[in-house]
Amino acid sequence: MEHLLETLGRNMFGIFGLLALAGAAFMVTARSAVHSVLAFLFTMLCVAGCFLSLEAEFLGVAQILVYAGGIVVLFLFVVMLVEISKFKQKARLEVFQNQSRVAIVAVLAGVAAFAGVFRNAIFGKASPDALVLRPELARGLDVAKQNAQAVSRGLFADYLLPFEILSVILLVALVGAVVLAKSERV
Amino acid sequence: MVSLNSVLLISFALFSIGVAGVLIRRNALVILMCVELMLNAANLNFIAFARHSGSASGQAFALLVMGFAAAEVAVGLALVVALYRRRDTVQVDDINLLKG
Repeated sequence: MEHLLETLGRNMFGIFGLLALAGAAFMVTARSAVHSVLAFLFTMLCVAGCFLSLEAEFLGVAQILVYAGGIVVLFLFVVMLVEISKFKQKARLEVFQNQSRVAIVAVLAGVAAFAGVFRNAIFGKASPDALVLRPELARGLDVAKQNAQAVSRGLFADYLLPFEILSVILLVALVGAVVLAKSERV
Repeated sequence: MVSLNSVLLISFALFSIGVAGVLIRRNALVILMCVELMLNAANLNFIAFARHSGSASGQAFALLVMGFAAAEVAVGLALVVALYRRRDTVQVDDINLLKG
């Protein structure tokens, strides 16, 4: 039992990653939009688990707050606003596009090209040490111990200008969303 | 110990699923969700490389990307609602006004 728990703890990233992949696949293939949104929520939670297992604690919690708390609720509201009333009148609703087969083939070709280019780096034995995550470096910068502090130093000292630009972009998006979504007669 | 390659592989697979979803789905809402999925795959790469190089800059950038994703969702959903008001549909292949 202890052995099993230890193995689970060591492979936490792989478990969350595979669960996220399964959720994403279900999200793309589900017929109902509500099922897609719920699978999206599951995927985002699994990605948050990946962040946590990569010792990015602040980002993992922020991911749960932003996605599960904000974006998924927004999606669900819009699904309820949009999906129900006039949709059902159409006799048959195709889920996938006509060019689905071509698109799948194109994506698979892209995957094959990626695998071909990076075959040596990923499957070969070339310099395995260089590609393993190094905990001693993280310990030196206290990234793991005081993650929020390190992130805030990066955000407010090194990348202050992008942060301020982001705030302007959020304001523009807010105004744009209000203008786009308000009804005509106001 | 997590190897960088496994992180990159999983993030690449997530990104591919997102691209495939954008290309094959008809529902505009699901297409928006797939775009979010691609942004998350990019975030996973940022965090993996930040962890790999031992600096927090990548995590700060991932936080910025998260903010951009939120802005994009707000505008995208407003577009979907406006589209539904005007055309009574959210299927992207019904929107063919500019088709020659």
